[in-house]
Amino acid sequence: MPAIELKHVSKSFGPYQACKDVNLAIGEGEFVTLLGASGCGKTTTLNMIAGLDDVTSGDILMNGRRVNDLSPIERDVAMVFQNYALYPHMTVARNIGFTLKMRGLDAAEIARRVEKVAASLELSAMLERLPSQLSGGQQQRVAIGRALVREPKYFLFDEPFSNLDAGLRMRMRAEVKELHQRLGVTSIFVTHDQEEAMSISDRIAVMNKGRIEQFGTPEEIYARPATRYVATFIGSPRIELVSGEIVDAGNSSACRIGSVTLPVGRRLPSGRKVDIGIRPEHVKLNTSGIPATVRLVQPVGPATHVTLDWEGGALVASIPGFVRLSPGTATKAEIDTNHLLIFDRESGELLS
Amino acid sequence: MTFARLQQGGPPRQAIVILGLVLFTCWSAGPVIWLILSSVLEQKALIAQPPDLSPQNFTLDNFSTVIGAAASLGRGIINSLIVAVFSTALALALGAPAAYALARLPVPRADNISFLILATQMLPGIAIAIPLFILISRLGLIDNVLSLGIVYLSFNLPIVIWILRGFFLGIPAGIEKAAAIDGAGIFATFWHIILPISLPPLSAAAVFAFVEAWNEFFFALILTRQQAQTTPLVIANFAGQYQTVFGQMMAAAVISVAPVILLAILFRNQIIRGFADGMMKG
Repeated sequence: MPAIELKHVSKSFGPYQACKDVNLAIGEGEFVTLLGASGCGKTTTLNMIAGLDDVTSGDILMNGRRVNDLSPIERDVAMVFQNYALYPHMTVARNIGFTLKMRGLDAAEIARRVEKVAASLELSAMLERLPSQLSGGQQQRVAIGRALVREPKYFLFDEPFSNLDAGLRMRMRAEVKELHQRLGVTSIFVTHDQEEAMSISDRIAVMNKGRIEQFGTPEEIYARPATRYVATFIGSPRIELVSGEIVDAGNSSACRIGSVTLPVGRRLPSGRKVDIGIRPEHVKLNTSGIPATVRLVQPVGPATHVTLDWEGGALVASIPGFVRLSPGTATKAEIDTNHLLIFDRESGELLS
Repeated sequence: MTFARLQQGGPPRQAIVILGLVLFTCWSAGPVIWLILSSVLEQKALIAQPPDLSPQNFTLDNFSTVIGAAASLGRGIINSLIVAVFSTALALALGAPAAYALARLPVPRADNISFLILATQMLPGIAIAIPLFILISRLGLIDNVLSLGIVYLSFNLPIVIWILRGFFLGIPAGIEKAAAIDGAGIFATFWHIILPISLPPLSAAAVFAFVEAWNEFFFALILTRQQAQTTPLVIANFAGQYQTVFGQMMAAAVISVAPVILLAILFRNQIIRGFADGMMKG
């Protein structure tokens, strides 16, 4: 039985439909990320799971029990918010302990549990401080402490690291992953950062325009994106798409892009209009291959991203280490055709 | 010129700002200074043209006379205190939950209701004076501090609701969501979270309501006779039938504004923050 299950869940705000027929089954102890651009319905979905927003239609089940009409506390969820949402007039200790006070625990028990959680998050020295006296990272840790102290069945994270600087974001990401490994609590994490989603999740649900485009492991999502949208959303540098047409090539099919023909390794109906996705790590610069011109060279340390112009449009090659090339240089691009991703032009779906 | 300097404005602009502030201060403080001067000048020096401000004309006799005849002023101050505290406390106790509901709960047509509440303040006092008088006299509450308290409450409540609603609208929704996740219902959220973070606008609204009630003259005049007279009426009574002893009147006025000024000084930071928050976020 899934720990959390969404069945045909939709949500409308007046005429605007924020979520459309969302179906999701999350296993016990799993770490699932809802990933998508802003306005895709991921936070609305999370709010419905939390019990902060009503469901317009469909059902939300937790351990098989329908929870549509239950309050957040009855669902036993804890949530960490993007802007921390700490109570500004309460000290760190009172912020963390507030939920226990609402549950009617006595002061001694609250103090004991607050101290335990504070120690695990290295907040012990700050218990008497106000949120305004803490740094962004410390505030977020208090917000996590507030979620932890309840020992809830489910953790929900709504873009918790968006307001942190890059370095701190990486550290907090690792901390949350370790926390999950340690506690094994079923968690749902919302982010628009695909790298964050890839690094932290057991499975990712990529959302677009209120729908789930694909739900799978980071590897599945990256290597076999179900749609063109997922392919372009995942991966950095971004996948390049070029327009082509399927043609016959003996036993198999190929894709013709201008004067270039790339083998696609299987049979597809000829004449079909497609978009070919080529990831940067599947492009090499070589002495043979497609003629191309260097447009842009961007070294990032472990690799150099070289943007090329060729007949089909643009192409990015990710080459290990530092590469010395000047813009305008003529070169040849070798594409690893085993990894081509072929999407139907019209529907945007992956052709398998 | 650096950006910071540009934002501050050059010397000419600063001079204009300072001149404006000086003029405004004189405009606001002038009457108060004149009030205090009048209270410590002898009647002869006060009504001379121009007033004679030589040191020998200064006296504290007006104060000793007024305090000597303390019975009426003392009763006036006590009545004013009762009426102002009663109407302010009730306006806050009723206005804060009302403002919260209108700002944050799914109340249908909350904007229209809020506007209607404010609209009640647009009627001139004289328009409701007669019906109000008839109503209060039928209730047998003429010359009773309770009736004044209720009347002032009806003026103060809309203002309190309006000030607080502006502030509540600006509170980030995340904080209420966090409270809901933490297991707090609407009342617990309001009591434990919203009220404590609303101290500045609450103070501002309280001082505003208190001053309104403390200074009100017109309704106190028509709804009281003797027992329930408030300070402004007692002061007005110093204008006798044959002679107005300005000095005593002013001394009584100085004594009566002292609590209000004290209140304003004590809460000035909260008041400024309260009004600023309400304005920016409302």
